[in-house]
Amino acid sequence: MDTSSPRLRMSILGVVVLGCFLALFARLWYLQIMEAPALAVQATANRTRTIATEAPRGRIFDAKGRVIVDNRTSLIVSIDRNELKKVKNRNELIARLADVLTANGTPIKISTIEKRLTEKQADQLQGAPIAADVTEEVIHHLSEYAEDFPSVSFERKTVRVYPYGTAASNVLGYTGRITAETLKSLEAGTDPDGVVKSYHPDSIIGLAGVEATYEKELRGTPGVELVQVDSKNRPVGTESYQPPKSGNDIQLHIDIDVQIRAEQALVDRLAVLRGTSQKDGTKRGAPAGSVVVLDPRDGGVVALATAPTYDPQEFANGISQDRYNQLQNINGASALIDRSISGQYAPGSTFKLVTATAALSNGLIDSKSSIYDDGVYRVGNPAQEFTNAGDQKNGNINVIRALTVSSDVYFYWLGDRMDGTTLIQDSATAYGFDQKTGIDLPNESTGYVWTKAEKKALHNKYPEAYPNGDWYTGDNVQLAVGQYVIVVTPLQLARAYAAFANGGTVYQPHVVWKILKPNSTVTNPNDVLRVIAPVVTGTVTLPPDVRSPIESGLEGVTSGAGTAASAFVGFDQTAFPIVGKTGTAQVKGIADTSLFASYGPALSPKWVVTAVMEESGFGAEASGEVSRRVYELLASQTLTGAGTATIGSSD
Amino acid sequence: MLPQSISSRASNMSRRDPTAPLRHVDPVLIACTVILSIVGVIAVYSATRGPGPDYSKAYLYKQSTFMVIGAGVMVVFSIVDYRKLHDWAWVFYGITTALLVLVVSPLGSQSNGAQSWFALGPFQLQPAEFAKLSLIGALAFLVSEFRGDIDLRRLVALLATAGLPMALIMLQPDLGETLILVVITMAILLVGGLPTKYIVALSLVGLIGVLGALNSPVLADYQRNRLTAFVNPGDKSNKALYNIEQSQQAIANGRLTGQGLFDGPQTKLGFVPEQQTDFIFTAVAEQFGFVGSAVMLLLYGLLCYRIWRIAQVAKDTFGTYICVGVLAMFGFSAFENVGMAMGIMPVTGIPLLLISAGGSSTITALAALGLVLNVHMRRFQ
Repeated sequence: MDTSSPRLRMSILGVVVLGCFLALFARLWYLQIMEAPALAVQATANRTRTIATEAPRGRIFDAKGRVIVDNRTSLIVSIDRNELKKVKNRNELIARLADVLTANGTPIKISTIEKRLTEKQADQLQGAPIAADVTEEVIHHLSEYAEDFPSVSFERKTVRVYPYGTAASNVLGYTGRITAETLKSLEAGTDPDGVVKSYHPDSIIGLAGVEATYEKELRGTPGVELVQVDSKNRPVGTESYQPPKSGNDIQLHIDIDVQIRAEQALVDRLAVLRGTSQKDGTKRGAPAGSVVVLDPRDGGVVALATAPTYDPQEFANGISQDRYNQLQNINGASALIDRSISGQYAPGSTFKLVTATAALSNGLIDSKSSIYDDGVYRVGNPAQEFTNAGDQKNGNINVIRALTVSSDVYFYWLGDRMDGTTLIQDSATAYGFDQKTGIDLPNESTGYVWTKAEKKALHNKYPEAYPNGDWYTGDNVQLAVGQYVIVVTPLQLARAYAAFANGGTVYQPHVVWKILKPNSTVTNPNDVLRVIAPVVTGTVTLPPDVRSPIESGLEGVTSGAGTAASAFVGFDQTAFPIVGKTGTAQVKGIADTSLFASYGPALSPKWVVTAVMEESGFGAEASGEVSRRVYELLASQTLTGAGTATIGSSD
Repeated sequence: MLPQSISSRASNMSRRDPTAPLRHVDPVLIACTVILSIVGVIAVYSATRGPGPDYSKAYLYKQSTFMVIGAGVMVVFSIVDYRKLHDWAWVFYGITTALLVLVVSPLGSQSNGAQSWFALGPFQLQPAEFAKLSLIGALAFLVSEFRGDIDLRRLVALLATAGLPMALIMLQPDLGETLILVVITMAILLVGGLPTKYIVALSLVGLIGVLGALNSPVLADYQRNRLTAFVNPGDKSNKALYNIEQSQQAIANGRLTGQGLFDGPQTKLGFVPEQQTDFIFTAVAEQFGFVGSAVMLLLYGLLCYRIWRIAQVAKDTFGTYICVGVLAMFGFSAFENVGMAMGIMPVTGIPLLLISAGGSSTITALAALGLVLNVHMRRFQ
């Protein structure tokens, strides 16, 4: 074959060109028909940007339908510090900004702006807030003369408002900007229409309290604007726009009046006691305390007070690092800890409820079993002596009298008799101690009630911290009066008394009562999305021969020879009899923890009130007094009928 | 007899004389040219009007003007007997070579790192475009003179003729245009009877040259990246890949029937760079889809087929070689330009003839087609 024949060469050329075109067709088919769906997704992502607008969070109502957390729009002017560094006439700019703000209803000094610029933000990503709640005029001016205000920006933010100020701040919690780590791990909820309430780097989330636990409900559905951008990322049009939708409202069991009363009573009493001396001469630090008010009928949390506390408003526009640090040390206590659920205290004599239940239900004693209390109880050989508080001698007493006058000797005796068993611990477990209550708030503590085995295990695991791993009779004697081998949270204590009050049902305490539709009307039943049903976590068996003697003993506490009688002088107990138990837990080196656990009215208990106050001395004089002030309000509510309409009707 | 004969030929040329050029215009070639030119003007407009609402019409007017001028040039290049042009081949070659020298002198203008054009008021003259046609003319001239007998000495002469403009264009530098000249030369040498042993030898030298160039400092990094991007589509560090990804996404976005005229979002929003020239195919593919772009490629293929066919029926070898050169020019232009946009060819910017915006390339393309038509019209004379 002649390889240089022109015909052949022309054919070769033709075949090459044909091959090229076939290759183009094949590739075209591949791209436009086979790969198109996958590539089109990339292309869309390329030319659109999603702009998310945060939606208002749901509102929060109290049990009586009052708005306790609301929203409002705040116009905030801030300065980007990094941008400010690039501004030439920095001082002139700040002076100009101060003038504009001052002239338009937000008086501000240059020095104030400078100070805000130097304040370290807890959230470094945000610009330094210079002025919040500025007027529309300021915004008009800033946008009109934008080129005169480099690095200055403004935004319209929906912020939380708290019509009742700091009330219930520990329950409500606060919101803040999402962190990068949280953004990765947080699972987004869906709104009533099933739309995912997605998160973005600028999203605001609940960081504490109900704001955190009900984040999925409260969060609104962000507005999503799909903006078409050109290759230089400049917006050229809107492809779709989904306006933001408010989050679900929620209604709490909290009665804001009771909450405010409990907080005020606590703060007032701590202030009175602070710096005074208790009986043995120890100075009362009285730095902190808590009050829990529970509905024993369903575990609804009517009030949850803790002191010291913070103003959630301070978090609304971003809090400075200095102020944040300050909040962590108020009279030596952190305002950011909710002591009612996280504080752990030896329950002292309030625990005698549990010991008495253990002894009576296991047949160790009956209502008549009595011993002679000469003020001292001796254990072992050589004898170790355990005494009554204040070396009081109570004479011949049974369990009823022992509870009323708080005889330690009687309960030392019971603890001695139950040594070698776990009867007290079992009873404590039945009442819900040594376990989380499951309340719908974050950072709850567990407490502990050690057994012989647990003490040993702890020693084996941490021999340094727990040098002694043996269980002595003395340990059981101490346990019987709620000391040394036991700590509880105020909420656990309240729940145990609630269980006793309602005849033995242990409820999981709940702050939130109902989930409501966005922008709901609290009185409209159609707006209820769901009611949080009471959850029973256990029962205490309380037959009459067990419950009656204890009830009789506790009934006596608030009157006559009772340990809390002094706190209830002048309180009309015929209309609203109160059943309770004082506790005075010794803490080495500082003043005693004062406790009072109670419920009322006696025959049909509607409220459990417990107060626990650190370094505050004897039970009645601190916690008893605080509780009385709470009962005064509750009693007046009962008598006027104000409280009955909404409490506990969670069917 | 004679005067009458002359007068009858003059007055009834097309009717009486079966060899008259006007009786042998190629309607298919002309139809393809016209349709592709219209498609080109529309594509250029859609790629340059911007996202609106103030649409820019500058490119629309400019490209239309070039088409009109080009049409005139095409008529001229088809009417003047190509065998007369035979004698002018070296004049054209000389002029364009001179222009190529001048363009790399301070007289030329620079953009995107290449000094490749003269600024003539609002227009830009790219001598490299004209060099394609003048090289075709010069090589066709030489190879037809050699009458299928190419020895080493003649081969050297041919390579020197082709090498001069190539070297000058590489000075700009413009890799794409140089490659077209290489392909044109290869095609004419192939059909012109270059002995097989030389073809093999040249292929080997070319292969080694390409590999050597890729691994030597002759090419700038960006050039190397662009050339190899299509081989390593996963290489994220390669910036040239961004363009190819964007263009492939735009093409894919066209799907079967396209987004519709002026409705291609990638095209409209300027995600694809150099969209009116090097990546013009993306505008066509996104807006008209597989159906539209396949039809356009078919028209292009049909045009190439006609040129190939005319090369075979040409009256003389000079005509054949001209057609072969023009075929190589169009075929490679389509394969490289469209192939690059679809990610199967290296990134070297060359226009898709008749479709891409550009005065010099459009006028050269139409002139080349005028020559081919010329050869066809005079195949019996």
